[in-house]
Amino acid sequence: MPLSTQSQADDEQYVLVASLDNARCLSNILKAITFKDHAIFSATPNGLKVTVEDSKCLQANAFIQAEIFQEFTIREDLVGFQVNLTVLLDCLNIFGGSTVPGVSTALRMCYRGYGYPLTLFLEEGGVVTVCKINTQEPEEPIDFEFCSTNVTNKVILLSESLKEAFSELDMTSEVLQITMSPSQPYFRLSTFGNSGNAHYDYPKDSDMMELFRCTKTQTNRYKMSLLKPSTKALALSCKVSVRTDSRGFLSLQYLVRNDDGQICFE
Amino acid sequence: MDCLLEGNCVKAFGKAVHALSRIGDELWLDPMVRGVSSTKQRWKGNSLALRSVNSAHSAYACFLFSPLFFQHYSLGPVSEQGSETIKCKLLMKSVLPLFRCLTSIERNVERCQISISTPSDRVIIQFFCRHGITKTHNLSFQESEALQAVFASHLCPNVLKAPARLLGDMVMHFPVSQEEITLSMTPLSVSLRNYYEGGNDHMKTMYTEMSLHLDEFDYFQVGVDSDITFCLKELRGLLSFAETHCLPVSVHFGAAGRPVCFSVEDMVLEATVVLATLIDSESTGPSQQTETLAPTTPRCAEAAVLPVGSCEANSRKHQGVPAVMELIPSSQGSPIISPPALMLLVPQTDNPNGLGEPDEACASATTTPASSTICSLLFRALSSEQDSDGCAARLPVLAYYSDGEENMEEDYTRSPSL
Repeated sequence: MPLSTQSQADDEQYVLVASLDNARCLSNILKAITFKDHAIFSATPNGLKVTVEDSKCLQANAFIQAEIFQEFTIREDLVGFQVNLTVLLDCLNIFGGSTVPGVSTALRMCYRGYGYPLTLFLEEGGVVTVCKINTQEPEEPIDFEFCSTNVTNKVILLSESLKEAFSELDMTSEVLQITMSPSQPYFRLSTFGNSGNAHYDYPKDSDMMELFRCTKTQTNRYKMSLLKPSTKALALSCKVSVRTDSRGFLSLQYLVRNDDGQICFE
Repeated sequence: MDCLLEGNCVKAFGKAVHALSRIGDELWLDPMVRGVSSTKQRWKGNSLALRSVNSAHSAYACFLFSPLFFQHYSLGPVSEQGSETIKCKLLMKSVLPLFRCLTSIERNVERCQISISTPSDRVIIQFFCRHGITKTHNLSFQESEALQAVFASHLCPNVLKAPARLLGDMVMHFPVSQEEITLSMTPLSVSLRNYYEGGNDHMKTMYTEMSLHLDEFDYFQVGVDSDITFCLKELRGLLSFAETHCLPVSVHFGAAGRPVCFSVEDMVLEATVVLATLIDSESTGPSQQTETLAPTTPRCAEAAVLPVGSCEANSRKHQGVPAVMELIPSSQGSPIISPPALMLLVPQTDNPNGLGEPDEACASATTTPASSTICSLLFRALSSEQDSDGCAARLPVLAYYSDGEENMEEDYTRSPSL
């Protein structure tokens, strides 16, 4: 495979090298958080984290563990840069959308460090493309200070049940109200639209509820527009964890199962 | 009103809503104390009617569900006035999304409960799904007089009863965009062909015609050779419903200009679609056909309807005009309700001046042959209050356009049957 003919010397210039046999795995995940143009990449020995933010009130993070990559080499403790996510996705899909089964695009992502562009080597069927995307100073992602100790309510649901609810949500409603409670109605999604209101109730003993840990009754309303980007992530995932903390901050974590491993979204 | 539907019936109910959505933008929900179907089978117990009409009042559909359709059905506390039940009108766009995905309903919904809550002015539709999930929708409704087109299908000279898939298979050959088709019946055959406006796009239109021998039908009655042209789009919903439930479709019609009635029925439900047909253009007077189409909205407020045969706001010269209704007292002695407040929809010509000047068209209407009279589907408002005047039952006459409002009132002394 042409990519493996990269000489050892070249590799030493890069602070980060990550390889995937199937670039689709990365592009699918990035598609799910592409609600803004720019994304902050931060790589640690644990893996790659991609952060997208919207108006300081919504933050999406995609964690791709190092084990998912066929090759993941990092020479520093933390490597951070910012790139245009739309451009990156276009490059990852440079060989076109639909693929013949069995043929996949291989990816080798290399980064030399501050000031250098992000280099992508993409190969499919013997054809190699090299893309260089300019990087920018990474902005400091907002720290919402959402930590596990402050979590008041947490449920883990199988995505299947939520997918249906989200696809049926009344979009004329400006808000989505989430009620989590140790007593009835346990977990409820409510909308208030033009024609009336709707409630989706998930009891705590439902088959779809993998974990139910609610300490107090909380009802919070969130702008529907902020939750829309999460539907893409929901579509890819197999499980969702919904957590609220004492301030009413909502954290949704989506577990995306790859062919062999797991990738976690937030 | 409170009713409970189980699994398969929820899907059938959803399919009915889909079919009704092809007709109009509003859904009338009408719990009835005693439903009387058009075939005069009187169901024991309470029934539920779902109705819709298009804005031009040229298409009407009614799905009547017998008490057997429901796992449980109750009208709730009855007020002092007697058999008064809430009749409500819902926006189709509020109801349709709830039943949009029938396959997921089939997969997930175990039961559905529909109830009307008067204090909060809401219709509550609750889906009890698998895995204990409950979906509750509270929809606001408008209280409204019930809507019913009165059409004596048993008086139609021509009758066809087609096995379940036959009509569906026939209309499949027409493109989805085809608006109107013409059904012709002779003692030898029945044919369907697409209806075109004529004129400039001769070269661009694809003409399709198919004929069937009368033997293909389960039953036929040829009273008069006729060609009727009606809107296909509005019918497709019912045909799809019939196909899903493997029900034969009955077609009752007469000469061009008179409405056509398509109906399906089984043990627990009955569905009817009444469509206006185009008048035979050769026999109409010129004054009755104008190029322009007056807007319906301002007129409707005065209970006037534009005799438009197909999709509204089309300024085509052959405005499809529905035919006149004949009102005959029920042969089975169904109770006669004399509604005091009639929401009669007085037909209005294409004359843009509308109600103000009906005379010109009327004069010609009365002089032309009956088949070319301009008229419309007439709707009665049903009120459960008994009319204190207690008009006697009698054979009402054809409601001619020229008669206007003054003659209409006395004609409606018949039972609420379709």
